[in-house]
Amino acid sequence: MNLFASFMLTSMLMLLLPIIMSNTQLYKNNLYPHYVKTTISYAFAISMIPAMMFVSSGQETIVSNWHWLSIQTLKLSLSFKLDYFSIIFIPVALFVTWSIMEFSMWYMHTDPYINRFFKYLLMFLITMMILVTANNLFQLFIGWEGVGIMSFLLIGWWYGRADANTAALQAILYNRIGDVGFITAMAWFLANMNAWDFQQIFITQHKNLNIPLLGLLLAATGKSAQFGLHPWLPSAMEGPTPVSALLHSSTMVVAGVFLLIRFHPLMEQNKTMQTLTLCLGAITTLFTAICALTQNDIKKIVAFSTSSQLGLMIVTIGINQPYLAFLHICTHAFFKAMLFMCSGSIIHSLNDEQDIRKMGGLYKPMPFTTSSLIIGSLALTGMPFLTGFYSKDLIIETANTSYTNAWALSVTLIATSLTAAYSTRIMFFALLGQPRFNSLSPINENNPHLINSIKRLLVGSIFAGYLISHNIPPTTIPQMTMPHYLKLTALAMTITGFILALELNLAAKNLKFKYPSNLFKFSNLLGYFPTVMHRLPSTMSLTMSQKSASMLLDMIWLESVLPKSISHFQMKMSTIVSNQKGLVKLYFLSFMITLTLSLLLLSFHE
Amino acid sequence: MSMVYVNMFLAFIMSLMGLLMYRSHLMSSLLCLEGMMLSLFIMMTVTILNNHFTLASMTPIILLVFAACEAALGLSLLVMVSNTYGTDYVQNLNLLQC
Repeated sequence: MNLFASFMLTSMLMLLLPIIMSNTQLYKNNLYPHYVKTTISYAFAISMIPAMMFVSSGQETIVSNWHWLSIQTLKLSLSFKLDYFSIIFIPVALFVTWSIMEFSMWYMHTDPYINRFFKYLLMFLITMMILVTANNLFQLFIGWEGVGIMSFLLIGWWYGRADANTAALQAILYNRIGDVGFITAMAWFLANMNAWDFQQIFITQHKNLNIPLLGLLLAATGKSAQFGLHPWLPSAMEGPTPVSALLHSSTMVVAGVFLLIRFHPLMEQNKTMQTLTLCLGAITTLFTAICALTQNDIKKIVAFSTSSQLGLMIVTIGINQPYLAFLHICTHAFFKAMLFMCSGSIIHSLNDEQDIRKMGGLYKPMPFTTSSLIIGSLALTGMPFLTGFYSKDLIIETANTSYTNAWALSVTLIATSLTAAYSTRIMFFALLGQPRFNSLSPINENNPHLINSIKRLLVGSIFAGYLISHNIPPTTIPQMTMPHYLKLTALAMTITGFILALELNLAAKNLKFKYPSNLFKFSNLLGYFPTVMHRLPSTMSLTMSQKSASMLLDMIWLESVLPKSISHFQMKMSTIVSNQKGLVKLYFLSFMITLTLSLLLLSFHE
Repeated sequence: MSMVYVNMFLAFIMSLMGLLMYRSHLMSSLLCLEGMMLSLFIMMTVTILNNHFTLASMTPIILLVFAACEAALGLSLLVMVSNTYGTDYVQNLNLLQC
């Protein structure tokens, strides 16, 4: 009981050690990845102790260490909030990161800068920990920006590739738009409540909290890739697969949802914000599920799946269930990271082939990857009593039995069936059927790093839902009684999605592909959103500014109106009117002779 | 009439002759124009000072201003001619085209 805060801070301080060691000889030899991985596994083990203390006693802690500065009446200090959300999220994040580090020891084995890769991943993890344990908005913003920057560095890991640089820049730009909302909220809280500490914000009474909550919603839209600021997430798949597994499925993209969960005491009184959140999440989950149906890159399908699940988390916040959203964050991390790692295993085995139309028949050559991919997909779609069931099914049941927007509810249900549909598509094209890849592919999954890491997440995908949901303290009570058709809705939608997708895939397997229909084009080109929004506003604003500043002001008002028009007019008139011959010297001479003659005549006059 | 005035009047006549009779360069007629302006200025100033005609004391300055404007105009014409032909020979001005 006494060592609660010490253990937690120790576990987070251990993560800093490999960064500090990067100036020494340890960084230069090839044992550094192993060192980093072991550090994270020890940090996970140590952080389980406070987690179990919390589970048994419900004790929460706020650690305020160091008073940094006071700006008139605002006091900024380094403080860690170790409450329900942080204590459960940190072991989950460390466990998933441990598996991903071990996986990248296999995946990035031939990379000459593998030490730097591990350092970047570790720095990302540290900033994520800062974000999660922050007790004031300033520290949270430090973590927020930190994960953004590490995301940029890691997406552009292979910086020689132009697409990777574009994707990294796109991620930064979209996140920046969300940061505007974050800073608006910070400024509003500073001006109206004189505090950036959560405790003071939640206690102070205020009538209309729309502005800061809108700012926080914009921040969540940017960071968690909701509709409107979503194109950066599929583009972020340009980074290596461990980066996609860690950042863009489990940890960074849930930062936006985490922010909204942190502010749930403010959100549960504001009906407008809840409706906005609900509709935003609903449209995100449906739109990205539609886009995932026709993609051909296996990592992009999983990225859209992540985006769809994030929309589901935002929907959960919209129906005023922050604890369920948090449970979904924790369970989603397991199977989504595992899905990415299985795709990485397939990609490496097929010699960096990412197109599912060129995979197939991996059921026999790669049995372990196949089984973990299938279990991951089943957990994702919410198969009863796997991990996803404990969070996803509860969310659908609560949405069904609550007094909510019928459109948002039906859209969420449709997206649930689409989840099953695209998962079936992945499994059908990548695993089943006859092989469509090159004959001499080096298919080998016999590496212990790969097998152990996926095995750990596999066990997590099966059991973590049960373990977590039976050990957490009671929060909002889930709906216990409902009609049987409502209870079975999620399962029915999922089974519908599975059967429909399987039938369509089997029926169309050997048909010739003629011309894409309009609906296909809409889905494949991501709803035309990047095509329109990346080109139209920039072209319009640049053309408008060129026309108004350069054409209108400079060339017309300052050049053409007076100077050029006068000179043009004069030249034209002079060429029309004059009929002289230009004998200048003769004219001058005749002038002088006239003068002299007149002078002589008049002077010698009488 | 005193010698000063005759002297300056003669200078004016010399410059006028130079303006009206020049061989090839346009620049020489512009220089003679300046000479005319100079002699007029001195004549005007000496007359005003000798007759204590205080109210007209600003007239030389006004003359200077107008002479400056005309010199600028003359020079710009010279520059236009020089841009087109490379030199300022008067025999080039036979085309009547800008």
